[in-house]
Amino acid sequence: MSNQVNSLKKGLTVKDLVTTGIFSAIFFVFTLVGGLPFAPNPVLTFYMPMGAALLCGPIYLLMVAKVQKRWSVTILGIIMGIIWFATGMHWAFSLGYIGMGLIADLVAGAGHYRNKAINLLSYMLISLGGIYTYVVFFLDPDGWASTMLKNGTEQSYIDTMNASAPSWLLVVIIAGTLAVAAFSGWVGGKMLKKQFEKAGITA
Amino acid sequence: MIELKHVSFAYQGQEHDGLHDINLTIADGECVLFCGRSGCGKTTITRLVNGLIPQFYAGELTGSVLVDGQEISKLPMYQIAAKVGSVFQNPRTQFFNVDTDSEIAFGIENETRPPVELAERVEQATDDLHIRPLRNRNIFELSGGEKQKIAFASVYAMNPEIYLLDEPSSNLDMTSIQELKGHLRLLQKQGKTILIAEHRLYYLMGLADRIVYLEQGRIEKIFTPEEFRGLPRETRERMGLRAADLAEVRPPQVHPPVSSPVLELRDVTLRYKKRTVLHRISLAAAKGEVIGVVGHNGAGKTTFSRALCGLHKDCEGQFLWDGQAMERKNRLKRSYMVMQDVNYELFAESVEAECSFGIRNPDLTLAASTLEELGLAPYRERHPNTLSGGQKQRVAVAVSMICGKDLLVFDEPTSGLDFDSMTQVAGLIRRLSELGKVIFIVTHDFEFVCRTCSRVLHFDEGEMPGDIPVVMDALPKLRELFSVKVNGSEGDREGGLGHSDGKER
Amino acid sequence: MMGGASSRRGLWLDPRTKILLLLFCILSAMMAPSLFYELGLVVLIGLLGVCFGKWKYAWKGVLFYALIVLLTLWIMDTMTGTWRTMFIAFLGLFHKVYPCGMLSGIVLSTTKVSEFLSAMNRIHAPKKLVIPLAVMLRYVPTIQEDWRFIKDAMRMRDVSPSPKGLLTHPAMTVECIYVPLMMAASKAADELSIASITRGIENPKPRTCLVQIHIGPADLLAGICFAAYLAVGLYWKGVFG
Repeated sequence: MSNQVNSLKKGLTVKDLVTTGIFSAIFFVFTLVGGLPFAPNPVLTFYMPMGAALLCGPIYLLMVAKVQKRWSVTILGIIMGIIWFATGMHWAFSLGYIGMGLIADLVAGAGHYRNKAINLLSYMLISLGGIYTYVVFFLDPDGWASTMLKNGTEQSYIDTMNASAPSWLLVVIIAGTLAVAAFSGWVGGKMLKKQFEKAGITA
Repeated sequence: MIELKHVSFAYQGQEHDGLHDINLTIADGECVLFCGRSGCGKTTITRLVNGLIPQFYAGELTGSVLVDGQEISKLPMYQIAAKVGSVFQNPRTQFFNVDTDSEIAFGIENETRPPVELAERVEQATDDLHIRPLRNRNIFELSGGEKQKIAFASVYAMNPEIYLLDEPSSNLDMTSIQELKGHLRLLQKQGKTILIAEHRLYYLMGLADRIVYLEQGRIEKIFTPEEFRGLPRETRERMGLRAADLAEVRPPQVHPPVSSPVLELRDVTLRYKKRTVLHRISLAAAKGEVIGVVGHNGAGKTTFSRALCGLHKDCEGQFLWDGQAMERKNRLKRSYMVMQDVNYELFAESVEAECSFGIRNPDLTLAASTLEELGLAPYRERHPNTLSGGQKQRVAVAVSMICGKDLLVFDEPTSGLDFDSMTQVAGLIRRLSELGKVIFIVTHDFEFVCRTCSRVLHFDEGEMPGDIPVVMDALPKLRELFSVKVNGSEGDREGGLGHSDGKER
Repeated sequence: MMGGASSRRGLWLDPRTKILLLLFCILSAMMAPSLFYELGLVVLIGLLGVCFGKWKYAWKGVLFYALIVLLTLWIMDTMTGTWRTMFIAFLGLFHKVYPCGMLSGIVLSTTKVSEFLSAMNRIHAPKKLVIPLAVMLRYVPTIQEDWRFIKDAMRMRDVSPSPKGLLTHPAMTVECIYVPLMMAASKAADELSIASITRGIENPKPRTCLVQIHIGPADLLAGICFAAYLAVGLYWKGVFG
């Protein structure tokens, strides 16, 4: 253990960077696999962040357990942001991942990347990276639809938006994503203990 | 010059693979082969010279390792990299880029050479190593042997004085091994120092100046090639070493007669992505038969094995078992493939759990007795990932026995195994054969084929031109098939399995 | 995704230009004043696609978008109530993302990973970001290969590698997928680190790059076209007026 304390000071080694890269690749693919079925569907599209959060818990927790150093999670967030940008996703999606990556890193760092409950919390936070597109929508439903509406605004649309959907839907998205992420992280934690620690692949 | 003075090393939290009081001096331009059983410390020696110990692998190191008078452990890794080039065992995890050109340039880019020089050096490496057809390609489309060539070219472009190769032939077919030999000869002509840790020894006999035999972390003896070749077979095998000369490897005189066939293939045609891989193959196999499958990369060996196991969908023709037609689902139930990278088929958290994983109503007494029989009982609590390669393979075989599979396919079961492990696998296969399983072995390993197989299927260009018995009478044909040369009479001419172009399917 | 090595056909643009075009495209889509402006943007991207020699992709992309525009107009005219709200929300996202997605399809299929990394080097992105990014791009196809092996292994153990299998035997299926994948990833992380350290990746000096990228007249022209289109949109919206 004394070895690892020393390496904490040294910052990220090449091995840490390579590990971060490899796990980012898996994180990206699993986010896509979980989220894609939701995207092209008017009813389900809003629940996409939940699908995206469902599969990545074990990956994220193993990465944190392997690296155990500052900036690795931030780099994961930035890479996700860059990839979403390059694939033409909504801008808030990219920025959301970068911002939440940084926050998740700070949170996990508060537990020195070893506290399992805090690591789980930090996974829940990075999973929120996907919701900002919808936050933008709820903040300004008018601007969202202005392209489609002939005269800029349309009162009936604003009314229905205010009446039915917004208040609870955003809450459902946030709470749902957190819950799904918590579940995924819980499974990940169990797997870490049952398999990966025993197999000797954590740091 | 490389000097190891009183070097001892122990990996952190690991008992095997350490070294005890190693003293060795290697002159410039020498080619030294390190051999010995798995865990004897031969790979550890290469890691001392390229600085991975102590900079990447933690542990307790005493003594000193000098390269050209400089203490290796005091140099930063990137300065060592300019002196000492390393090529490793696994071609799949050695590349950093997606295209071959960038990969060849990877090392010299890190040396921050100007772009004009980068292009010149990549060209030079391409010409010297004859890899023009591999330029500007996607690495994921290359075969294992081709990937290994790119890894070699990347190091070659850096033009180090010392080359380290750690089991470079493990994942190569016979043709690629011959090409590797050619590349090593080129280095020797250039006066480079070469250190190789290897299990397969035959291809290095004409190259090595000294052969260092290690046992349990100590240098047991240093041979000249003449001395080494003069070792009686029994002595060599007792030392745990594989054949020094494949010309001495012989198949048995005869095989016991087989019973009537149980598995039959009638006019089987296999397609992969609409391209015909194998055309109208017919064959029959009896219980207890062990059948080798050979052919160059891309000849359809993998597709054939996957089709046998019911994993490949695009098949035409009939598969019969005991005269009954066997659909894909039936084949899947009846068969099991022991993969080359066996890690993909181990899922559970302990060896014991692995034996009952996914089986409804597992027979625990059968599981226990199988583990006992395969010598795995002491490891039943261990995580499969912590076992050695040979042990993992035996776990996979144990699973197939517990599931009651009758048709087994082994994909390159001896890659990276030392002599002891190879004989163990051979013994295991003999046992499976006695149990009446039908066994197919996809392999490039001539020594292993002679020990285990009763016949060999040869695939080429989508056909099956050969079904050859592994007996003395067929020796010339077998040698041709595995490109085995006898006493240099054929020189270093390439032949046999042809060129390894095209991707393994 | 990003092809390893395809021969160059038609236009070649510097990856930095492509990133800039994407940025212009996102801004244009974000503030688009009307549907027809967006349609114009998609046509512009289609033209770029044609310059790259991607005829089929271009006309299919434009045609599909035109149909969606018609659908949107029809929905706007006829639907009311909650359905309308839902469709507006969904189509709002769709219209914002479609042009960027279409452009990114062109960008990704015409950019080699090595060119992209060269661009990252040129803009002096820190090594701590470039290394993981390069590894990530290289590892995605490896996951695909791994998955093929894992699927075979699962079938032989009578575990179905499908969503149905996941629902009927969740715990087992999850282990079958994650365990070999994570073991392979962890092994690859070690071996890939070793292979790059022994080839001198730790050199503190900035790397040079075999693939040389350069900004030429075509880059300027493409940049001006997209910038001008963005300016037209802003003017239309009254930002300048």
